[in-house]
Amino acid sequence: MNFLKTTTFLIAAGLATPLLAQDAGGRIDIVVQPEPPSLMLGLVQNGPTQLVAGDIYESLLRYNTDLEPQPSLAKSWEISEDGLTYTFHLQDGVKWHDGEPFTSADVVFSADVFLRETHARMRSSLAYVDSIEAPDDQTVVFKLKTPFGPFIGVFEAGTMPMIPKHIYEGTDYANNPMNATPIGTGPFKFESWEKGSYIHLVKNEDYYLEGKPHLDEVYYRVIPDAASRAVAFETGEVDVLPGGSVENWDVQRLTELDNTCSTGKGWEFFAPHAFMWLNNREGPTADVRFRQAVMYAMDREFVKDVVWNGFGKVATGPVSSKTNFYSDDVTQYDYNPEKAKELLAEMGYDGTPVSILPLPYGETWQRWAEAVRQNLQEVGITVDIDSADVAGWNEKTSQWDYDMAFTYLYQYGDPALGVSRNYVESQIEKGSPWNNVEGYRNPEMDAKWAAAAVSPSPDERTKIYSEIQKEIVDDVPVAWLLEIEFPTIYNCNVQDLVTTGIGVSDGLRDAWIKQE
Amino acid sequence: MSLITTILGRLVKAAITLLAIAVLNFFLIHAAPGDPAAVLAGEAGAADPLFIAQLRERFGLDQPLYVQLWSYVKNVLTLDLGYSFRQGMPVYDLIAQRLPATLLLTLSSFVISLSLGIAFGVAAAARVGKASDSVLTTIALLFYATPLYWAALMAVLVFSVQLGWLPGFGYETVGSGYSGLARAWDILQHLILPALTLGLFFMAVYMRMTRASMLEVSQMDFVKTARAKGLSGPVIRRRHILRNALLPVVTLAGLQAGQLIGGAVLTETVFAWPGIGRLMFESLEARDYNTILGVFLVSAAMVIVFNILTDIVYRIVDPRIGAKS
Amino acid sequence: MTLWKRFATNRGAVIGLIILLCVIAIALLAPVIYPGGPWKMVQRPFLVPFTNGDLPLGTDTLGRDVAAGLVHGARVSLLVGLVSTVMALLIGVPLGALAGFYGGYVDEGAMRFTEFFQTIPNFALAIVLVAILEPTLGSITLAIAIVSWPPVARLVRAEVMSLKRREFVEAAHLAGLSNTRILVSEVLPNAISPIIVMASLMVATAILLESSLSFLGLGDPNIMSWGYMIGAARTVIRSAWWLSFMPGVAILLTVLALNLIGEGLNDAFNPHLKKGRT
Repeated sequence: MNFLKTTTFLIAAGLATPLLAQDAGGRIDIVVQPEPPSLMLGLVQNGPTQLVAGDIYESLLRYNTDLEPQPSLAKSWEISEDGLTYTFHLQDGVKWHDGEPFTSADVVFSADVFLRETHARMRSSLAYVDSIEAPDDQTVVFKLKTPFGPFIGVFEAGTMPMIPKHIYEGTDYANNPMNATPIGTGPFKFESWEKGSYIHLVKNEDYYLEGKPHLDEVYYRVIPDAASRAVAFETGEVDVLPGGSVENWDVQRLTELDNTCSTGKGWEFFAPHAFMWLNNREGPTADVRFRQAVMYAMDREFVKDVVWNGFGKVATGPVSSKTNFYSDDVTQYDYNPEKAKELLAEMGYDGTPVSILPLPYGETWQRWAEAVRQNLQEVGITVDIDSADVAGWNEKTSQWDYDMAFTYLYQYGDPALGVSRNYVESQIEKGSPWNNVEGYRNPEMDAKWAAAAVSPSPDERTKIYSEIQKEIVDDVPVAWLLEIEFPTIYNCNVQDLVTTGIGVSDGLRDAWIKQE
Repeated sequence: MSLITTILGRLVKAAITLLAIAVLNFFLIHAAPGDPAAVLAGEAGAADPLFIAQLRERFGLDQPLYVQLWSYVKNVLTLDLGYSFRQGMPVYDLIAQRLPATLLLTLSSFVISLSLGIAFGVAAAARVGKASDSVLTTIALLFYATPLYWAALMAVLVFSVQLGWLPGFGYETVGSGYSGLARAWDILQHLILPALTLGLFFMAVYMRMTRASMLEVSQMDFVKTARAKGLSGPVIRRRHILRNALLPVVTLAGLQAGQLIGGAVLTETVFAWPGIGRLMFESLEARDYNTILGVFLVSAAMVIVFNILTDIVYRIVDPRIGAKS
Repeated sequence: MTLWKRFATNRGAVIGLIILLCVIAIALLAPVIYPGGPWKMVQRPFLVPFTNGDLPLGTDTLGRDVAAGLVHGARVSLLVGLVSTVMALLIGVPLGALAGFYGGYVDEGAMRFTEFFQTIPNFALAIVLVAILEPTLGSITLAIAIVSWPPVARLVRAEVMSLKRREFVEAAHLAGLSNTRILVSEVLPNAISPIIVMASLMVATAILLESSLSFLGLGDPNIMSWGYMIGAARTVIRSAWWLSFMPGVAILLTVLALNLIGEGLNDAFNPHLKKGRT
């Protein structure tokens, strides 16, 4: 998949296909779990927020399941031959939900002013940006300092949401009272939020794509208990269970119900990649042989089949096979307890206890930690499970106070956006749980990660990333576990629910309900 | 008159207790690992130390602990519960949104448990030693020994999923557009399962207490005197035994109010009941300091109100007071 | 009639005692019956009970032996129940005794303190304590003890207050015994029977509390307990109801047994109340 063509991308704006069999109208109920802290996508970007706010806010582009850019607020775009200039042409007649027109000034404000201040992940991509300008109301030009291949992947609603300039300019963003009633350009408008119960969105009648959205209203339902969420789907109270909202053991049973569909698609952009941070600084995990022994000791296929109910794929290294630049030319760590014992004997492991910190996201992760503990005990490692809630987990990982800690990170479509942050030395920064928490240092690799990010040639990038993967997999800085697949379960009457690589979070712009 | 002075006195004591609770909880919650900024940053999926520092500054967490405590206490004294940084709204509004649901749930459970408990207790005591007494006592014991959350799960399975009689969770039908009586009926249907599961546990407690108390009082001299005077069984039971026997039950009920509200955390979780019990649990996990402190204060205040209520009931029931008026 | 004979005439109490003794025996013998521990993944997951002779109660979500879990879980439930009750007694008895015996400011202070703890919803306080200390067997036990001592203090205070006016206490005063001596050797021994009755009920409540905390995900992850088993199985309650049913029954039986014993003891200690009974 080659985004960096020097030719012009011009995708027809006439996406508003006439209504064929698509029935307009209706309401759908979707589970959102946990309840989002806020719907202001420019300030908060966690999963639940983006799930709901992805209907309210939009960005310039969206991405299909092959991660190719598609028009959203930009109807077309060009990238200059040297890879330094990105020019976007905006859709005509776009209005904010309060009726104000959406223009290129909003884009400049959002990217250059608002998000630079509030959005940590966007800020690191903006470091490559030299200037953002609006030559006219319908055009925006991003000029980069150096070529940055992954840049075409940042125009997604959770990464670069469009924020209304007329509401936020010159205000204290975090305390702006309008945060409670978010205004976007998306297919649905915020209507009401009954805390602890539901969030109600209604159709944006002035949406710029004619005939869309099809649905009249959407209710995001807050149901705190996983078993109750399953019951809600069974009794028909909710129509859609987004990925991860019921425990894996329930997935099979639910998908066998009448008129129930499921899909694993819609996670390609995020490509959640699960692994355990192994503390490279101290204790047994500082020894590469111990880390390799951990890889051989774990029966990851068993976990995939039993804990994840067969969903997902055992990870072979740092890059997800769902994204670009994946290479399988690496050492394969098959389940091999004998080999693990040999490695432990070779390093002279003396039974020093190590602890596992599970991810406090429900039963699945708890069982996973228990299965790993059992695997490690069987090869002679002394191990117990540490426990912590979300806050405690954050504290321990970001203060490096752990031996082995479960986590999963999004890949955001490109190793330079979602993968390298976890392995380069410049990302060793105490106090954040989303960087090189394991403390892996390898200057030679750092140079390669940097070169791959700014190389203008995709072939060159592929080559460097393959080298990186081959080498790093032998070092085992972290114990890669699984490319997670979160199946979305839904009532089969709901059509076109997942149409992009961002899935349900990408808005219900295209969804409709088949009338019986 | 004496009632009013007692209540006033209790209110003053209550205010002091509440303030002490605020301070204790302040230290407890700040002793927990992590802070709201770390949680928010953690959920964002990406954060740099700058982002976290900004959040801490915004929340005032960069101040020394005693400064934070002082400003919190000042707020509480002016009946201001502070601002929830996580939810982006004043804690007072947040709790006001959730409190009616919890009040409805706990009050109806309280009424159910107390009235059924007393009724069954009286019935069992009147049939003491008979088979029906054993049946009632055993049922009560079973309710008492069953884990609350487990009973709740089973109730949902049977009455909601299998039989489809009652909604299994939630406070009302979302987006139904009901109003007035239709809405009340809708909420009532949603209320039945959670209120019953929470209430039946406590019903068992009160029933056993009533039964024991009835038996104890019926052995007392004044009852024997009444019998000797030739009064009929039911009259004795109602006028003499029941009134006296209820005193310890009502006292116990007041003391149990705290447990009832605590039990609401479990009930609200299983039934997705949008009350403050769940708000407490969620804000604890999010280290949303002001919200959790606020919920603790409000639920402690609820306990005090329940206590005062039972005090009033006590005075109504107490035959000595009744004789005076 | 001796205490034991009076207790033995109560059929329910005897049944309760038998159940409890069985649970204790199982708990003590757990390492002998299942030396491999409860965590071993022994078979395919979700094995239905009574289909495999070696695994009579089937397997759980990870293929662990449910029977082994129940047997080892008995140890934890009983341990948490007993230890937290002892701790609660250690706080509540001295506090209540001092308050009741000395009265005045001591009483006022102690009762304010007790009321304070009764004003905080106790389950909520337990949740906060466990979350702060992080869930381990020790922190769970401590949290349960902290929320369950106030009723003990109240009970002991009431008992001591009524006992201290009795003749034998006055006699002890006249004999020149010190206050401490009188409290410890004269008053408290006479208050012991209601304390024992209450303690037996507190063990039951503590077992329920532990399982509720586990249900909310606040259990010790290294220890197999009944509450943990229900919490872990509740997500599969529709496809494998027996996984949460069996530990639920185990809790129910144990709590029931403790309550029956408590009632039996109460009747045995207070024979005058038993008249109405068969």
